[in-house]
Amino acid sequence: MPLLLPILLALACAPLAYAAGRWRTAAAAWVGAAGALVALGALVWEGRQGPARLVLPWAPTWGLSLEFTRDGLSNLYAAMALGVGALVVLYSRAYMPHHLEEEGRPARDEVRFQFLLLAFMAAMVLLVTVDDLLLLFVALDLTTIVSYLLIGFDRDDPESRAAALLSLVLTGATSVVFFAGAMALGLQYGTFSLPLVIERAASSPASTGALVCLAVGALGKSAQVPFHFWLPRAMAAPTPVSSYLHSAAMVAAGVFLLQRLFPLFAPATAVRDGLLAVGFLSLGMGSLMALVADPFKRVLAYSTIAQYGYALVLVALGSEGAPLYVAAHAPCKAALFLTAGAVTQVTGRKKLSEVGGLRHSLPVLAGASAVAAAGLAALPLTVGFFKDEVFFHALVARGPAFMAAGLVGAGLTLAYTLRLWWGLFGGPRQGVPAAPRLLVAPVVVLAALILAGGVLPGLLVAPARAAAATMRGTPSTLALAYHLDARAENLLAVGAWALGATLFATRRAWTPALSRVLEGTSRVGPARGYRVLLHQLDTLSTWLHEKEVRDLRDRVASVLVPTGLLGIAVLAVTPLRGRFIVGSVGWADLTLVMALAFASAAALATLRAKDHLVLVLLLSCVGFSLAMVFAFAAAPDVALTSVLVETTFTLLFAGLLALLPVGRLKRAQQESQNPRGRDRIASGVAGASAFLLCWSALSHLQAERVGARTVQLAEAAHSPNVVAAVLTDFRGLDTVGEMSVVLAALLGVTSLLSLKGRR
Amino acid sequence: MRSFVPPLSRLLLWPSLMIALAFWLKGGASVGGGFPAGALAGLAVLLQYVVTGREQARRYAAVRYAAPLAGVGLLLVVGTAFLPVLAGYTPMTLFPRPGEPEVGMGGLHLHTALVFEGGLMLIVFGLVVTVIDRFALSTGRGEETGP
Repeated sequence: MPLLLPILLALACAPLAYAAGRWRTAAAAWVGAAGALVALGALVWEGRQGPARLVLPWAPTWGLSLEFTRDGLSNLYAAMALGVGALVVLYSRAYMPHHLEEEGRPARDEVRFQFLLLAFMAAMVLLVTVDDLLLLFVALDLTTIVSYLLIGFDRDDPESRAAALLSLVLTGATSVVFFAGAMALGLQYGTFSLPLVIERAASSPASTGALVCLAVGALGKSAQVPFHFWLPRAMAAPTPVSSYLHSAAMVAAGVFLLQRLFPLFAPATAVRDGLLAVGFLSLGMGSLMALVADPFKRVLAYSTIAQYGYALVLVALGSEGAPLYVAAHAPCKAALFLTAGAVTQVTGRKKLSEVGGLRHSLPVLAGASAVAAAGLAALPLTVGFFKDEVFFHALVARGPAFMAAGLVGAGLTLAYTLRLWWGLFGGPRQGVPAAPRLLVAPVVVLAALILAGGVLPGLLVAPARAAAATMRGTPSTLALAYHLDARAENLLAVGAWALGATLFATRRAWTPALSRVLEGTSRVGPARGYRVLLHQLDTLSTWLHEKEVRDLRDRVASVLVPTGLLGIAVLAVTPLRGRFIVGSVGWADLTLVMALAFASAAALATLRAKDHLVLVLLLSCVGFSLAMVFAFAAAPDVALTSVLVETTFTLLFAGLLALLPVGRLKRAQQESQNPRGRDRIASGVAGASAFLLCWSALSHLQAERVGARTVQLAEAAHSPNVVAAVLTDFRGLDTVGEMSVVLAALLGVTSLLSLKGRR
Repeated sequence: MRSFVPPLSRLLLWPSLMIALAFWLKGGASVGGGFPAGALAGLAVLLQYVVTGREQARRYAAVRYAAPLAGVGLLLVVGTAFLPVLAGYTPMTLFPRPGEPEVGMGGLHLHTALVFEGGLMLIVFGLVVTVIDRFALSTGRGEETGP
């Protein structure tokens, strides 16, 4: 149970911050950040007690349970999500008021923003701590949905909405592929519990198809080629969102999944080679695009694609440095994004070609972001140095070709990082107002962490080893230290710096050519495929919509006819012998027959009704007659409920009619008085099917059915009322589901009718 | 005719709500339950709307906060269903368990199903009253601004 403490604390942050924000807008961020830090404290405190697992039974007969784990991997990623989350929330306190003012939105929308950000943090913590394939999928989709709301936070901006939709479609679609893979594994091994799956996979390796499905889900999430194009578009989001999504959360989730599932991938060399190729491709493409992009958030976005390409390479090589790489990358990228946001806020500009020379006006920010940039470019004395060291270490083992690829990749990283930092802070002096302290402080804190990790690498060894051990299932011997000798890793690092510096120095010579080449390739890329696909789907849905809703009768028929055909098909394939029995009617059934006759008469009368109100009343007559049937059939409970429901619905229906425009009602009425040929056929099919199904079902009433057993069980469940026992106990979970649907309908009604009232 | 209908409807409100409560409390043993209870209470409020109008009906706090009440109802339902999970039971475990002695007296039996049914009652009540209220709001606006 104590294992749940950090998760529950993380889950509590968002509602608490929302409540505080309702009281005073500014309080939301402080409460949220404090909550995140408390959760982080709980995580660290618990992490010292060693790994643990918690299994809560869910549906034991189906072998389903809620499983949570506390191991190296979950600790590392959860700490990252909580720590960066707290800083980003504080930063948003300074960033969002200005942003909302520019967008012309009320200041209290900040509370919504903080709520979503904290909800995202909670989803991420959940994702990294669950130990069950199905829960993994649920948490993954939670992050997708919240990120959709976050990216589309500026809902009045069409670009922002389109970007949000793109990320939702891409990461949602790939996560469905992930689900397919998870189901395939679950069926193959007979369980969804991850440790059991991994244990059974040791004797019979997972099928390649399932692994590819899982990998596609992870690649989509991590914005790897060919799913990379949602990430730069997602830059339309407010900067704190980009900072969080790209450093510690959303994009990390994909690589995290691969690390969590690594024991399954370990024996599948073909899949791992594919991942390796994708990783190098993303690394190269992301780096090249980052070298020419002009908006500085885009430079960072392409850099994220490239950096997660590195991480993917490390995972594919099975290197024990993969978790460390992601953890070392997170603070650097977060700090650079926060810097970009601060610069945009102070100068009002978003492109590298429009800013520069800010080091004089913003010296603290320049210094802190220089540390972060050094970290990203893997310079010594920063934690980033070790991320490249493990990278090179893994490549050296694979031979010279890999070493060369890594060298070029690292060189490109240094080149675009230099270009970014110099573009912001270097060059001739520009006078700008000072940045608010709260915008700079999180960057300084992150820079301090980056330096601390670089100067005292010993601090990192234990968590990195624990995470690596979890990933690979074997104890890790990862060592982090500076070595002053001519080993291959050091030579590669020096070579990369030289290459990066040369590229940076000669940038004016090759930038125009490179940007032309990249522009040419982007015309045929997957982004274009996505646009075409979306357009086609849009056309299809418009066509269907036109077909369906042009006429109310067609719309009703489009539901009733397939249902009726299905019913008839069911009857056609079942044996007919003794299926339709004509029973006998005795005097004892007189009351029942009277009630039914009344119901039939009312139903027939609806055919001749001239007015909608009369129609509603006739329909309620049918309902009341059926309630009478239940009363005679000794089901007082059902009769009571149907009388009450019928009354309520009749009155609400009458109220609804009062809301509709009179002219349209009259026209609909006249139309339905003149049925067309296809209306007769449709109603014939639906009616015949319903009649035959009812007859067939009623022909087989027997005393000894499941009902008798239910009555016995209801007594044992302390609930002599069988209906109540079924509703609350036997099928209680169904009731919970239905009630959530009722509440969703309530929300729908409220928002629809409020909309009408407002207009 | 109109003169005695409004006071009568106001008089009817409390007895109807009492009957709704009775439905809820004895739902486990005999005719009743959370669903009819919520529908009956909603009907009692509907009568107020029809006879006395929106402003008068909204004097009652339960009417003003009907939608949040439905949210509370969902919390009760979900809580009854899933809190046992935290104690190691399967979801939707009710107490007392079958075979254990019942607590209660007369027609009243204390059972966690009662909480569950209470949640159902609040959800149904919230749905009915909110929809009525929205209808009343929309028709009211229509009369003010319409032709």
